[in-house]
Amino acid sequence: MIIRVEREELQKKLGNIQNIVEKKSTMPILSHFLLSVGEASTISATDLETAIREPINIIERDEEGELCIPARKLFEIVREVDGEIKMESDGHEWIKVSAGRSSFRIACMNPEEFPKWPGLDGKTRLSLPAGRLHEMIEKTLFSAGESDTRYTLNSLLFHLRPDRGLFTVVGTDGHRLAEIDEPFEDLPSEEIKVIIPRKSASELRRFLTEDEENVEITITEKHLVFTVGGINFLVRLIDGTYPEYEQVIPKGNEKRLEIAREGFIKTLRRVSVISKDRNSPVKINISSGLMTVNSSDPDLGEARDELEINYEGESLSLGFNARYLLEALNSMEAEKVIFELQEPLTPTLLREEGNERFLTVIMPLRI
Amino acid sequence: MLQKVITEKRIILLVDMDAFFASVEQQVNPALRGKPVAVTGGGTRTVVTTSSYEARKFGVKTGMNTYEALQACPHLIIVKGDHARYTHTCAELKKIYQQFTPLVEIYSVDEAFLDVTTTEHLFGGAVEIGKRIKTEIKRQFGISASVGIGPNKLIAKLAADISKPDGLRWIKEEEVPEVLEDLPVEALWGIGKRIARRLEALGIKTCGELGRAPVGVLRSHFGIMGEHLKMMGEGIHNGEVTGDEGDGEVKSVGHSMTFPVDLWKRPEISRELLRLSEMVGARTRRYELRGRVVSLTVRYRSFETFTRRRRLECSTNDTRRIYRAALSILDGIRLREPVRLLGVTLSELENIRGQRPLFHEEQRREDLLRSMDDLNQRFGTLTVTWGACINPLRHPGVISPAWRPSGIRKSL
Repeated sequence: MIIRVEREELQKKLGNIQNIVEKKSTMPILSHFLLSVGEASTISATDLETAIREPINIIERDEEGELCIPARKLFEIVREVDGEIKMESDGHEWIKVSAGRSSFRIACMNPEEFPKWPGLDGKTRLSLPAGRLHEMIEKTLFSAGESDTRYTLNSLLFHLRPDRGLFTVVGTDGHRLAEIDEPFEDLPSEEIKVIIPRKSASELRRFLTEDEENVEITITEKHLVFTVGGINFLVRLIDGTYPEYEQVIPKGNEKRLEIAREGFIKTLRRVSVISKDRNSPVKINISSGLMTVNSSDPDLGEARDELEINYEGESLSLGFNARYLLEALNSMEAEKVIFELQEPLTPTLLREEGNERFLTVIMPLRI
Repeated sequence: MLQKVITEKRIILLVDMDAFFASVEQQVNPALRGKPVAVTGGGTRTVVTTSSYEARKFGVKTGMNTYEALQACPHLIIVKGDHARYTHTCAELKKIYQQFTPLVEIYSVDEAFLDVTTTEHLFGGAVEIGKRIKTEIKRQFGISASVGIGPNKLIAKLAADISKPDGLRWIKEEEVPEVLEDLPVEALWGIGKRIARRLEALGIKTCGELGRAPVGVLRSHFGIMGEHLKMMGEGIHNGEVTGDEGDGEVKSVGHSMTFPVDLWKRPEISRELLRLSEMVGARTRRYELRGRVVSLTVRYRSFETFTRRRRLECSTNDTRRIYRAALSILDGIRLREPVRLLGVTLSELENIRGQRPLFHEEQRREDLLRSMDDLNQRFGTLTVTWGACINPLRHPGVISPAWRPSGIRKSL
């Protein structure tokens, strides 16, 4: 088989799959990608948790067929050479790559061994603007667990709630939580909860940059497929039970504070200076009209800052991991945030003023 | 934290109790004084752990069983060891040492290192401190101790060993080469029979020869320990006297236990691992810490000892997770002999600063552990415990080398 392809086209398409291609050599086939040449040619790569299939524009081909090529090596070659790229294969063991006066011969694997794209008996489909899904991931991923032994927490929950007409995305690490809702009119009639791995959600973001485009989500029993701009992004679902997140979202917290978001961020950053690690414990005191924030460390010293808040009511003291507060505040845009508290050791709710669709819950520290 | 003044020359004392367990027993029971006494482990163990100097004259040695000991010395008085009595005495001894320096490291139940570099001038010099400690121990407990003084822990230990019993010896830095020259390598702290045998195969018998040996040769036979061995031969040792907890961060939390009878069956070993994991978990929780690395130490009947570590995906202080990790390490070991001692340690600690979990199940789990810990703190370790821990092997007859008055060790 002989094919010709534009260098820019190949470089862009290979760039898209580099994060998915396995770098460890535990399963050599996973460090390769599958090039399927035909009527509509595609590139596929997988790490067995995530798979991606994207169209590629082949200028010229003499026949149809498949090749299984080392992804990293070809990417490096394509980055270094100039001009149109020609690939020639004789059987599936080797290909010759040439561009201008340069030529390379690289070892390939048998395309028959490449993991098969699963058959999708897609029954549930959703469609929403790509930029919207991007935002939903961005605003929840920071709260998701990273390497927790409760593996279902190292993920995002996609929750279809037909009773409320909402598509909800949730991330939690067991100490804090972020939830964002998107209203949907024609959701399937049954409730659906699927859990997708953190790494897949993070990688998906790069394909969701075009605001005008829509992303189609197909939910099957074992997989979720996102289709955007001709690219298929397949995620293997995490098998397990996600915690009952709705139960921990406080509904009737009585102490309601209005705080300027930027000011709160600055105060927390200043006070966190007096701390040894990035999980800076801070103590927050609220009283009518005023919040004071303290930190202290027996070896370093103390810090104290205060800011005006809109609050009338009883005083309250509670402890927080400043990083949790900062990450939640940084995921918001509004000028003002609403902080709803109850007791020193009950969940607190932090959200943007005038935005009922997005909320974060943070569990305090014992002080 | 107490500032350690770094000076070129340090002055380290090692106080080593003479025939500690036997001396304590002779002190408690005047009828035993001046007589050959052997202390055995508690429970069903019949191995001599310490013998009095009177008994040693007849050839009674640590590690003999009572039959062998009685063969050597027919009028030997055998006393069952009382763990609590020795640990109590050790805690009291520490108070004496702390009058002279805050940098006191209880190395084992009968040995303690003191760094007196910055305090010796207050008491008229290191030798004077040594004399006063010996006098004070004699006055309070009626037992004798040997004191070794040196520029580092290695030499201090050596000085105490060669002055025993009831001795006091200062090996000054300039004397070190001369003392070491013809000394057999086994006399050094940390060089056992096995290493000595391997060194002999290289033609190295004395410390002097060890110090002059090419480092490359040692490295090729002993790996990174090779360099360390060469330094030992030269009398160099960089270990610091770690002082007390409270001044500095806790680096690891560990417990180990020597059993009244050697363990062979898997269910017994698992049960003891659960007990140790619970002790480690409870202590870690009390300090509001979590750790990421679990280590399991196994000592065989032959005293061969090794440690294996496992890094967890995320840090924990939950007994169950510590136990599971310890078990999985055990699964990777093919036990060749019955087990005499087991130890579980949690390290790479981080402060959790009271972060409360969000979900009810985790909260209940935390509350349960907290209630257990509170009860055990009030009524004694393992008052409330896991079902599988009930009916354990009671009264460990030997105090483990890792024992500390506080139960927590700062170094790994």
